[in-house]
Amino acid sequence: MQAIAEIAKLTFSDAIRNKIFYGVFAFFILLFITAAALASVTMGRTELMILDLGLGSISILGNLMAIVITIQALQQERESRTLYVLVTRLEQRWKYIIGKFIGLAAVLALQIILMCALLGLCIALFGEVYWQSYIQACFATILEIWLVIGIALLFAQSSSLFLAILLTLAIDIAGRFTFTIRQLGEQSDNPILQSLTQAMYYILPNLEAVNLRNQAGYIAQYDWSQLAQILGYSISEIILLLCVCSLIFQRKNLA
Amino acid sequence: MNPLIDVQHINLSIPTGHVLQKRKTILHDISFQVKQGTSTAYLGTNGAGKTSTFRILCGLMKPDSGQLVFDGKVMPHGLPPKRFGFMPEQPYFYKNLTPQELLTGLSRLSGMDNKQINKRIQYWAEKLHFSKVLKQRLSTCSKGQVQRVGLAQALIHQPDFILLDEPLSGLDPIGRACVRDVIHDEIKRGATLLFSSHILDDAEAICDQVIILKAGQTVFSGDIQSLLSSDDTWMIKALWDKQPADIHQHGEIKQMIDGNYYIQASSIHSRDAIIQNILNTEGATLISVEAEKKTLEHAFVDLLQMDKGEETYASHR
Repeated sequence: MQAIAEIAKLTFSDAIRNKIFYGVFAFFILLFITAAALASVTMGRTELMILDLGLGSISILGNLMAIVITIQALQQERESRTLYVLVTRLEQRWKYIIGKFIGLAAVLALQIILMCALLGLCIALFGEVYWQSYIQACFATILEIWLVIGIALLFAQSSSLFLAILLTLAIDIAGRFTFTIRQLGEQSDNPILQSLTQAMYYILPNLEAVNLRNQAGYIAQYDWSQLAQILGYSISEIILLLCVCSLIFQRKNLA
Repeated sequence: MNPLIDVQHINLSIPTGHVLQKRKTILHDISFQVKQGTSTAYLGTNGAGKTSTFRILCGLMKPDSGQLVFDGKVMPHGLPPKRFGFMPEQPYFYKNLTPQELLTGLSRLSGMDNKQINKRIQYWAEKLHFSKVLKQRLSTCSKGQVQRVGLAQALIHQPDFILLDEPLSGLDPIGRACVRDVIHDEIKRGATLLFSSHILDDAEAICDQVIILKAGQTVFSGDIQSLLSSDDTWMIKALWDKQPADIHQHGEIKQMIDGNYYIQASSIHSRDAIIQNILNTEGATLISVEAEKKTLEHAFVDLLQMDKGEETYASHR
């Protein structure tokens, strides 16, 4: 456990000082000010408009951050040979993957929390929303980002930075349309296509299943059973992804 | 003395293509031993397979065949983490961390307790002259300073076996002397060292054993003295108006800026023939005859018999 904690700590300390982290945060503030300015001159409930725009931005920026920071961290660690001095100190290589995930998950959770807190503050300036559902949606966004880190960790083990980003992005996008993919297959008469879409439905992580942004602020709160379902799904999917990552990493020649 | 490390018949091939995945063999039946308490230089030209061997020892790569024995035990996954320290070639680590943070984290990973860590970091920072940058981000440290931090992380947990990949590259002469002293101290402590280097003068000063690789094969493994004591060469200094006949058949002739001629003889027979030739030639004067002890660089080049190497060999004289 100490080895995992140390790798997580080193990862967190390095990633929290990454310039991208502050760049994205600055971009979010700029985006938010623009949205607030636009919302104030439009008809309707300004606070709900800011909430929709803000949560959407947090999700997009969070996803991009998760992909870039995770893949960059692993690739740079390999290029700088830090990976070698870490792995040679470990009895089992899987501890590196788990430590890396925890460190990156903590950094990105902190970023999402900060952005959500800032968004909440601004919404409060314009009016009132249902805060409980807002907080629940923020929590679900963190789970979504953690899932994306898991996917990025899987592809970050490829030797090409570009390929790793491209594949993660592809799975991230496809993961939002798993229901649509299955429905398309069901409508088809081709049994091969049906099997293929069915397989994709089960293999691809369902990122839309952890999306609670649509009704956040509009309803008092989400059903606890729905939240438990989301939590259970996310955790099991993350564990599965980390197991696959660890298996690949365990067998990989680190040349 | 029992070997601490026994590398037995290691073969390694790596994929070279992206699509067809052709494989290239980079280590052919490598076998060598490293005795306890010795300092061994692992030498070879670029691409000879030094770094790949080190990665196999560390468990970063798996060989196609062969085995690694450490302290009498077969190690299928590389050396035991707690008992060895590894410094990779030209590390630059986490740019956003300070040497203090990096060394603290790595020491904890090596199982050191918190009480020891700070004391050891201070000790190594002073010994390797990076105290001033201990709390400065690694991105702002010089290449030499990062190199010394890299050495400190390999030694901080007092390992039995130290594996250093090019520990002297990127260091100024003072830095190199400092690293040499540290290595000597570690040997005195009882540690066993295996290191690779292209700076053969330093390697000669540090090591007592040598392993030389050529294109993935071991061409020499043994005591450095046995490598250097064989085939001493002679340098004959002479002056003439007309070159003695047939002298060029016995050695390489060079005229230096002082106007004298230097003839290099690589055997006693050649030496005597050259001297005889000079003495028998009218107008030729024999100035001096000096025996030259082989350096590691000469021995290395001779052993590898490279055209490029021969130029270096000649120019060094």
